[in-house]
Amino acid sequence: MGQEILAIIVIMTAVTYGARVLPFLLFRNKRISGVLKSFIELVPVALLAALVIPELILTPTNEFTFINPFLLTGICTFIFARRVSNLFLVVLFGMVVYWGFDKII
Amino acid sequence: MRVKGFIYGLRQSVTIGIGYAPVALTFGILSLKSGLNILETGLMSMLVFAGASQFITIQLIGQGATIWVIGITTLIVNLRHILMSFSMIRFFPGISLGKLSLLAQGITDETFVLNSKLLEEIPTPEERSNVALGVNIGAFVSWVFFSFLGAWFGNRLNINFSGFDFALLALFIVLTIGTVNRQNITTYIIAGLLAVIFKIIIPGKIYLLLSVALAAAIGAFLQQKQLKQNKCQGENS
Repeated sequence: MGQEILAIIVIMTAVTYGARVLPFLLFRNKRISGVLKSFIELVPVALLAALVIPELILTPTNEFTFINPFLLTGICTFIFARRVSNLFLVVLFGMVVYWGFDKII
Repeated sequence: MRVKGFIYGLRQSVTIGIGYAPVALTFGILSLKSGLNILETGLMSMLVFAGASQFITIQLIGQGATIWVIGITTLIVNLRHILMSFSMIRFFPGISLGKLSLLAQGITDETFVLNSKLLEEIPTPEERSNVALGVNIGAFVSWVFFSFLGAWFGNRLNINFSGFDFALLALFIVLTIGTVNRQNITTYIIAGLLAVIFKIIIPGKIYLLLSVALAAAIGAFLQQKQLKQNKCQGENS
């Protein structure tokens, strides 16, 4: 194994795992209240928006696009998921519909 | 009881596993092309377990970047994990540091949003930690296994089903429906807008960290203001 590559992996692991474990080390069993509590409870919903919205309306080169397989499949999946609550079924539905739109458009 | 929660988590993680498979295969293939061997590829997936930064790194290695450039880039891309594990602390009061440090390795965008939804419906911290462990390990195994597979004989695989490109987005959309409500929809909209703007003006993946931190901060501020207003009205009437 290359020394250089190994060193790269070690440094990547240190910074990534560090970011993952630091809050546990510092704030484990601490009571969090007030504005900070609101903040940490809002992180998941904010991350969901940040992961989904740009993917649906931006091309890989960051131009706006409104008729594309991602947005169309996203809307269909949203409607389907409101009726069917099974996670696996919805993901399967999304994959098949995307494949269809991707062929057509 | 222990095993039950763990198995439940594993089963829920299957959707993430499906979404990771094509991405990890691609990583394995590209990693070998940029000069890493199979062992190094698998090791990076096991120890780092953070897709975006791994893709960026093999690209940087190909360009001959120094180890420090790679280290700093990885730090910037993965700093958002602090927000995620910080947000997860509330689920695990009293859980041992050993178990938490194991859980920590499995925190990714995908496991975090899935866990945040699942764990809210589970009553005890002990049970929550078992479910989270199941989710994280399931996702981890898929990522590592398919990275190896991609590196091993990725060039001979010829998968022609574009549907995989949508698997993780479909998962996020299901979770959106269960997560967004009257209290947090403002934050959702702000985060979405900010993410689009930041993605356009700042290259790389840092738009995730910036939009999430800023939107959650604005949302939290608005919620506290609302709470105080309600209190004042309560006192006046």
